[in-house]
Amino acid sequence: MRAQRGDERAYGELVRAHQEIAFRVAYLITRNAADAEDAAQDGLVKAWRALGRFRAVEPLRPWLLRIVANEARNRRRSAGRREHLALRAAASPGEAAPSPEEAAVDADERRRLLAALDELPEQARLALACRYLLGLSEDETAAALGVRRGTVKSRSARALERLREGYGPRA
Amino acid sequence: MDLERDLRTLELAWPETPELRLELAPRARRRRRPLLVAVALALAALAAALAVPQSRGSILRFLHLGGVTIERVDQLPAARERPLGAGLGPVVTQAQAREALRHALVLPPLAPPPPLHLEQGVVSLVFADRGEPVLLSELNVGSDAAILKKVVGGSTSVVSLQVDGGPGFWIAGEHVFLFPSAPPRLAGNVLLWQAHGLTLRLEGRALTLARARELAGLLRKE
Repeated sequence: MRAQRGDERAYGELVRAHQEIAFRVAYLITRNAADAEDAAQDGLVKAWRALGRFRAVEPLRPWLLRIVANEARNRRRSAGRREHLALRAAASPGEAAPSPEEAAVDADERRRLLAALDELPEQARLALACRYLLGLSEDETAAALGVRRGTVKSRSARALERLREGYGPRA
Repeated sequence: MDLERDLRTLELAWPETPELRLELAPRARRRRRPLLVAVALALAALAAALAVPQSRGSILRFLHLGGVTIERVDQLPAARERPLGAGLGPVVTQAQAREALRHALVLPPLAPPPPLHLEQGVVSLVFADRGEPVLLSELNVGSDAAILKKVVGGSTSVVSLQVDGGPGFWIAGEHVFLFPSAPPRLAGNVLLWQAHGLTLRLEGRALTLARARELAGLLRKE
């Protein structure tokens, strides 16, 4: 890998390819955009310095995410405003919504689901957020959370059960 | 109910991903509070100067409207284009937004109403108008730390006008918008005015003055 031979430009390309997922993992952990930016930035610099120890036969992304997530966990311990996950702004009336009524119901259901997810204990929330909101694999989630793959599976299953209880269909 | 599918299809308003660089030298820590303090001090000086009629000539480069300052400069500060919805703060309920403003909200006639964001006393929402995003921000002049700042360059047009009988400004052309706790961002065309007891701000890249006036007329107190 060119980056491992000290090619900063090659590493820069790797950073660009992974910066969004790295930032979002850090954001899920810190719940603060400024802290997440610092964590992702510093994590990627640490990863550059540790690149010599990376085994090129392994996928890079989980390794990067592990380093960035560690940075994020360190920053989360500092005091700071915690942000809530938010849904994207509602679609405009002219967009592909089937009808204003159905769109309103759908928007309400999505808001309730996110609120229920937000109320889960942190470990459960992070497991589901990494797997389903970010679409990380079990291995990547395990790297980001600093746990074994089996722990991700069991934690996710339990978290889904809890979420089902908190977010049942409306009567 | 397929919970896993529902989770996968949630569309979140992630904060904008910053441009990360390989900076091997230690970076200076972000200093957010001093900026606010500096702006607050500028406002205090401005208010004091406005209170003395004979000193108006020395502050012609500032305009002020209900918690918002407009400062004309020779060279715009560094800023990037960012999504209108970036850095607006967390989503809050209408009740929380109303409590923060200490005032009834002013909303566009959309059902469901777009999510409301709250950041340091400023309530914001983004909605689509004719396929283009428009940002509406509301602040109560009396609310705490609700300070917005706009920095305009020499080529930016700033027109003083009346909107529904209230004072306002139309700002057309490139300018920089400073929102509490958010990085400077290049802003689109903006209508800034006072109505319904609030200071209101509409921004959109494709927004025209005529359309902004129409939208302003459609806004209603909740």
